[in-house]
Amino acid sequence: MEVQFLYSLIVAVFIGGVAGYLGSLMITKRMALVGDALGHVALPGVALALIYGFNPSWGALLVLAVGIFLIWLFEIRTKLPMEALTGIVFTASVAIAFLFLPESKVSTALIGDISQINFWDTLVSIVLCIITFLVLKKIFSKMILANLNENLAQVEGINTKKYNFIYLVCIAVIVALGIKVTGSLLMGALVITPAAAARNISRNLSQYSYGALIIGIISCILGVLLFKIIGLPAGPLVILTASIIFLISLFFKRR
Amino acid sequence: MANSLILKVKNLNVELDGEQVLEDLSFDLKKKEILVILGPNGAGKSVLLRTLLRLLPFEGKISWVPSSQHFKNIHIGYVPESFVVSKTLPLSVKEFFQFKPVSQKAILEALSWVGIKASKKFLEKRLGTLSSGQLRRTLIAWAMVDEPDVILLDEPMVGIDIHGRETIYDSLVKFWQKKNQTIILVSHEIGEVCKKADKILALNKRRLFYGKPEEIITPQNLAKIYGSAISL
Repeated sequence: MEVQFLYSLIVAVFIGGVAGYLGSLMITKRMALVGDALGHVALPGVALALIYGFNPSWGALLVLAVGIFLIWLFEIRTKLPMEALTGIVFTASVAIAFLFLPESKVSTALIGDISQINFWDTLVSIVLCIITFLVLKKIFSKMILANLNENLAQVEGINTKKYNFIYLVCIAVIVALGIKVTGSLLMGALVITPAAAARNISRNLSQYSYGALIIGIISCILGVLLFKIIGLPAGPLVILTASIIFLISLFFKRR
Repeated sequence: MANSLILKVKNLNVELDGEQVLEDLSFDLKKKEILVILGPNGAGKSVLLRTLLRLLPFEGKISWVPSSQHFKNIHIGYVPESFVVSKTLPLSVKEFFQFKPVSQKAILEALSWVGIKASKKFLEKRLGTLSSGQLRRTLIAWAMVDEPDVILLDEPMVGIDIHGRETIYDSLVKFWQKKNQTIILVSHEIGEVCKKADKILALNKRRLFYGKPEEIITPQNLAKIYGSAISL
């Protein structure tokens, strides 16, 4: 097995796993489409990276930091639903990106390209994934409680504003990393689909969150292996694998 | 120290969306007392609880003794009025309790105090699949499980059948006394709850009456509180 392929596979597995875990929280908070939207928010950063030849994840992360800060700020100022604010920021971002994204790079920006990834990008991606996972694991139950009843969480001393912010930062990191795998158009599925499949078959919270993590990993392994075998782009293959797992989960759905 | 103060409320004013909800409210509460807050719908009972929990902005003074400066030093449990769980949320009863650092033994004990014979099977149930009465009881048990100093309950018995209420109240009062807990309970029923209270606060934006149940619960006073004659 060549080293380049191994890098691609490892990066996809780490990102897919954490994205699935994060997705279980996002679906619970009814923020499933936020991953999708943020994938689009990141487009100007991806476009810059593709033009100047650096890793799209880092471009995406920079733009996402700005985008998410704006959404967070708007929410505090306006009390409008976060999805409405995200909608405003993401469409504006797409508009900006398409002003300067070269036509030859459109496909890579939209559906990703994991075939070219070097050692350092791999290492940084793994470290970021591990840190994000540990942070999410720490805030997970607090976020679920706050989602169940915000007052109850506050009485328990949970600073919901702070945790929401940390949670958004985690989303930004995973979306930025995921864009490398699935591109900005398909990023949303990497967080939604594995978690939705896990939700169908799980009885409790730990089955749900770790189920999503495992399904995310399986989707990425199968998708990237298929890419190696049949040569079609990895991003769509990963997402289609996850979608098929979701369909299978329907047969095992708990009432 | 059993009779020392735990809560001092002075000249409390709460305004929400431009509307004055609580006006110049003052009262004290001693440790181990059970305070029942009565009043018609919209009297500001729930708002008062949430203000005491520092969930709403207010003017005036709320001092939780001994830690008036450090609200976080006093351990408070809370049973909110509305608590809805999505049927599809894969959260088991046990996991719900484990949001707090408690042992399985403590969980089972707390559940038994609210009249739920908890089995392993019950703990594995999804929270969203419980009946409204069971969910309510579970929520009360959740508030008590880590033995807070004070418990604030907002209409705790909503959805629990009449027969169940009295037994649960009996059981809860025993538990509270055993654990030296102070209780503030909002209710708009005047039956079984008030008999077990040490103090009654009748509220309609302002303080109407405050004192021992036998002094407050008279037909004349109730007519003033609820606007028409009510008898027990």
